[in-house]
Amino acid sequence: MARMKFLCDAERCIECNGCVTACKNEHEVPWGVNRRRVVTLNDGLPGEKSISVACMHCSDAPCMAVCPVDCFYKTSEGVVLHDKDLCIGCGYCFYACPFGAPQFPQDGAFGLRGKMDKCTFCAGGPEQDQSAAEFKKYGRNRLSEGKLPACAEMCSTKALLGGDADVIADIYRTRVLKRGKGSEVWGWGTAYGKPEKGATPPAGAKS
Amino acid sequence: MRFGLKQWLGAGLAALVLGLTAPVIAADTSSAQEQAARQQAQPGNNSPVWRDVRGGDNPYQTTQVRGVETAVLVQTEGETWRQLRNRVVTVYGGWLLVLMALVIGAFYYWKGPIKLHEQPTGRKLLRFAYWERTVHWGAAISFVLLAITGVIIMFGKHVLLPIIGYTLFSLIAQLSKLVHNFVGPVFAVCTVLMFLTYVKDNLPKAHDLQWLAKGGGLLSGSHVPSGRFNAGEKAWFWMGVTGLGVVVSITGFVLNFPNFEQGRELMQQANVIHAIAALLFVTMSLGHIYMGTVGVEGAYDSMRTGYVDEIWAKEHHEYWYRDAVAGDNKSGGGAANPAAASAMKEGWKQ
Repeated sequence: MARMKFLCDAERCIECNGCVTACKNEHEVPWGVNRRRVVTLNDGLPGEKSISVACMHCSDAPCMAVCPVDCFYKTSEGVVLHDKDLCIGCGYCFYACPFGAPQFPQDGAFGLRGKMDKCTFCAGGPEQDQSAAEFKKYGRNRLSEGKLPACAEMCSTKALLGGDADVIADIYRTRVLKRGKGSEVWGWGTAYGKPEKGATPPAGAKS
Repeated sequence: MRFGLKQWLGAGLAALVLGLTAPVIAADTSSAQEQAARQQAQPGNNSPVWRDVRGGDNPYQTTQVRGVETAVLVQTEGETWRQLRNRVVTVYGGWLLVLMALVIGAFYYWKGPIKLHEQPTGRKLLRFAYWERTVHWGAAISFVLLAITGVIIMFGKHVLLPIIGYTLFSLIAQLSKLVHNFVGPVFAVCTVLMFLTYVKDNLPKAHDLQWLAKGGGLLSGSHVPSGRFNAGEKAWFWMGVTGLGVVVSITGFVLNFPNFEQGRELMQQANVIHAIAALLFVTMSLGHIYMGTVGVEGAYDSMRTGYVDEIWAKEHHEYWYRDAVAGDNKSGGGAANPAAASAMKEGWKQ
């Protein structure tokens, strides 16, 4: 089984924010929620680099470890998903996440948090695949249609790669060898540096 | 946790300094230059780059997405918070609560409740006036609600969830979060009122040392005189109600109102401090609740009705009893209150 990962090639990213727009459009995310963002280092200076970042679907996901209701689960492809029916909107996953992936639509006065929303690797949620309920809560389930994440598919310079880790790592390795620079795989140490945990959904996680 | 101390101490000053920092940011040397210089001195050392990646406060690090800390690429404090919360606070805090419950259970089994040595006279003294009782129960009820919901949020995953299942536990946790968030500010207000109402009679006195030296006679069963509040109660007042009460209130506000754009690091620190303080608070409260209910005969009635028997006052708070009977105004309750004086007179008639 493939292990799904994201890889952003900082040598190629041109900060067009096409991935951000593609994600918003594909999933019709609520206002104020950004599942993906592009961060530019040294903007306007020599050595400028841009990196597109979203949930990296970590091996040992901190969100999963701190969730007080255990609403996260991991698919057999290593995609970290969560059950919005169980989420209580405490914000702990947002404290723990290194990438700022968990987003909270405001659900009342004083910043009261609603149900957490984050990148699903275009893999939906615990509901029936491609159902209306799944789309409403988690957005489109492209993986079940045999497609890869919309952000990576849409990327104009193919800087953002999403898919089977072995395949995207091969593509990246070839690029690095040809151009002779830019071998830094952003966020991979943080996201995939620890042994895989919680690879199978816990029993009863799907309500 | 690099800016932790500065953030906490400088919270008030920050607003004043804000106007002055704008030109400082503009004068900041670019990390690209710093990185280039570092590569000359120490090739392969990329720390200037990584500092920006984690910090996100470099003015040349940008993103189109609006929001708090969206320019931070990788925040590493989250992992520290996770390890502290999951491996230290949850584990030791949980066992601390269990241990305290066991100690109290063992004490009850071994010693039983502390009963009066003489027959009650039936003559009653006013120990807690209406306002004092109102404040106490306001704080007590909100505290118990917060303690129960907090314990559910922290330990429910390990204790309740395996028993009652995901759906029901999520419902309870959702309710716990709402109750915790809305009752929290009520408790903060009650904490302030508690302090103002009870501080006068909780000021330390010389005889408190005697009480402490003898452990309040808790184990020996000997009689140790005390004022309106004994040293144990004073310790609970200063360490629990006041000290921990203020700590959980302040950190609670930081966590409860994310609309003030505070960063994650501040909330992580607030969460850890909140959890530790709250666990100590709950642990101490178990002792207080035990002594106030089943532990001491007549103690619950004093806060429920406001009145205690004369013998109770004599046996538990002798100095206060003497002052009250003498009509001395220095100690609260008792004859300090006209109602108490009349109640006492009626008592004497019987």
